[in-house]
Amino acid sequence: MSTTNSPLHQAQILLEPWMENFNQPEPNRLDVVIASQDLLSAAGALETNHWGYLAAITGLDHGVEQGSMEALYHFCTGPVTLTFRVSLSRENPVVSSLYEIIPAAIVHERELQEMFGILVENIPDPSHLLLPDDWPEGVYPLREGFDSAELAQDYQPDLTEKTDRQDGCFVIPIGPQHPALKEPEHFEFTVDGEIVTGASVRLGYAHRGIEKATEQRTWVQNLYLLERICGICSHIHATAYCLGVEQLAGVTVPPRAQAIRELVAELERIHSHLLWFGVAAHEAGFDTLFMYSWRDRETVMDILEEISGNRVNYSANVLGGVKFDITDEQKETIRSGLNFLDERLHHYMNVVTKDTAFLQRTRGIGVMTREQADQLGTLGPTARASGVERDIRVEAPYSFYNDYPIPMVVETAGDLEARFVVRLKELLETNKTIRDILDRMPEGDLKTRMPRRIKAGETISRVEAPRGELFYFIKSNGSDKPARIKVRAPTLCNMASVVTLAIGHQLADIPVILAGVDPCFSCNDRAVAVKPQNNGWQIWSWEQLRQHGIDFYQNKDLVKPE
Amino acid sequence: MGIDLQNTIMDRIATWARINSPWAIHFNSGSCNGCDIEILATLTPRYDLERLGVKLQGSPRHADVLICTGAVTRQSFSRLQRIYEQMPDPKFVVAVGSCALSGGVFQGCYNCTGGIANCIPVDAYIPGCPPRPEAIIDGIVKLLHSLREGPDSTTESQAETENRRFA
Repeated sequence: MSTTNSPLHQAQILLEPWMENFNQPEPNRLDVVIASQDLLSAAGALETNHWGYLAAITGLDHGVEQGSMEALYHFCTGPVTLTFRVSLSRENPVVSSLYEIIPAAIVHERELQEMFGILVENIPDPSHLLLPDDWPEGVYPLREGFDSAELAQDYQPDLTEKTDRQDGCFVIPIGPQHPALKEPEHFEFTVDGEIVTGASVRLGYAHRGIEKATEQRTWVQNLYLLERICGICSHIHATAYCLGVEQLAGVTVPPRAQAIRELVAELERIHSHLLWFGVAAHEAGFDTLFMYSWRDRETVMDILEEISGNRVNYSANVLGGVKFDITDEQKETIRSGLNFLDERLHHYMNVVTKDTAFLQRTRGIGVMTREQADQLGTLGPTARASGVERDIRVEAPYSFYNDYPIPMVVETAGDLEARFVVRLKELLETNKTIRDILDRMPEGDLKTRMPRRIKAGETISRVEAPRGELFYFIKSNGSDKPARIKVRAPTLCNMASVVTLAIGHQLADIPVILAGVDPCFSCNDRAVAVKPQNNGWQIWSWEQLRQHGIDFYQNKDLVKPE
Repeated sequence: MGIDLQNTIMDRIATWARINSPWAIHFNSGSCNGCDIEILATLTPRYDLERLGVKLQGSPRHADVLICTGAVTRQSFSRLQRIYEQMPDPKFVVAVGSCALSGGVFQGCYNCTGGIANCIPVDAYIPGCPPRPEAIIDGIVKLLHSLREGPDSTTESQAETENRRFA
């Protein structure tokens, strides 16, 4: 317990001057009540002492009767979470922006502002993050009393196209429909000749309003809704939700069920990384590699289909356990599939580290130093490729990662090549862990009984999705429906790095830099904005941009890597 | 579909060409990605949609078929209409996945308008969450079949299905 307690103890000492009250709801959590005027100084104290990173900001509306709202600032380090609880009045909720201290806070704050109507003072960009541009003024979807039927009646869609492009800028708009990334987002890159000088992203095309919808569904129904946040990492969303709800209910899941959860999560990681590998290779102009990796990905899709019956939304989890067992024949199928994949992964490793043409697109491109990665709050393989040791499976083992540990894979170069290598190495380790699970799978039940109503309380659940840390905040008020579920997916934290990395690079490198962080917009749909500058503009399609990238490197003198 | 594809000899030639090689464009109107990765999987070696002449196209101006997923969020509503308007006639829309059909699991969410058909006319529906690649291929083949046989014959008889399978 000392590892859990000491950072929290340290934080308690740091926050002494501003702390109005504190509470330790779970051994690895500390809730600190802070007045809104002290927020900046308290966050500053954590930042100057390098205590953790800002993981998410959750808003809570306590309703008209209580007349109060709360903003929760969650800071994480290792297995512990520190939460600032800032109480606000419902009539005039105001907090100050943490942007000056923690630049990555801006996206969380913009979300808080538009969803709850909490005014964030001194925020550099107060525009809509997730909601549409034609959203009515003064309507805040996550406040109590918001009625979606009423909104649908009064909603006036604005079908005219808006451009906020400044004249005298050379801007290349991309999306929301573009053939490369299979998700709708709108990017604008400002360029000076070949060099990118500014970038901005408009997200929210895939914002569906799931957090609000969870409040209208029962605990069991939500499992199926949350699984459909993302079609790529569906299992991990359901796992994070189940872990949180089980923690609230005080239910322990049987060991065999936990092992199966981990097994499916790791199989999902293989499918997700291979999917990314193919798409990233496509962005780099290497379509053969794209086709090969997607062919090999079908191996793991077959395995998932055989054990769960579905290719994409496996629906492995139920509250209190899992739905299906793994038979001995299935174990054999999985093992032979893994043998094939191991062989292919070694081949791919050869390709990404030795192929001359490929290395020209990746080595030394999009370099993010350790300090930058830390400051921008990147997560998952993107952070690990820059030498930041951040992996929830190792730092705060959940489910069965204590019994079947997985080593942390870290690369130090921080360029695109490192991001390829780190993911491929991770897959080799994943394969070993899956074999380990298959060899020593505990016997026993697949699920335990869960109550229909969950005890009142709040909990935080953090898991390692294929793209990085996934953060769930779950609040129950003792009924059969949750009071609030907050989801913070890893792409949010990684998108900040894309815009920063893009600036100063060749235009031709942008598609592959963008793909390098493995963005997943349906998961979270958020934004970053940087001011464009320069003169004159022209429109290129994504395809033209990609073609330009390919041509640029074909015409460039081939430099052989040593 | 509104347009007679078999009227003149030139129409017939154009329709014959279109059926043999329809160019498709893909748009995600706020789906969870599940359908989108399955659409992408149909283009890769295991399923290989290109053997039926289907080519995924980047620009709406070159496309015959709009393959569309998702429950149409408010933000993408006008974009979807604009993409549809940019496509040259005759054009066909395939809605893929439960959300694209009816809003699916996201029904009642404040930012979803619920289904592609609320936004643009749809010619073929492929249900599933997400549909398997085989189902997507089958849906597209059925669409092509209806082009050949005229707008009224959207479903083929069992015998025709068997014929096609073994042709």
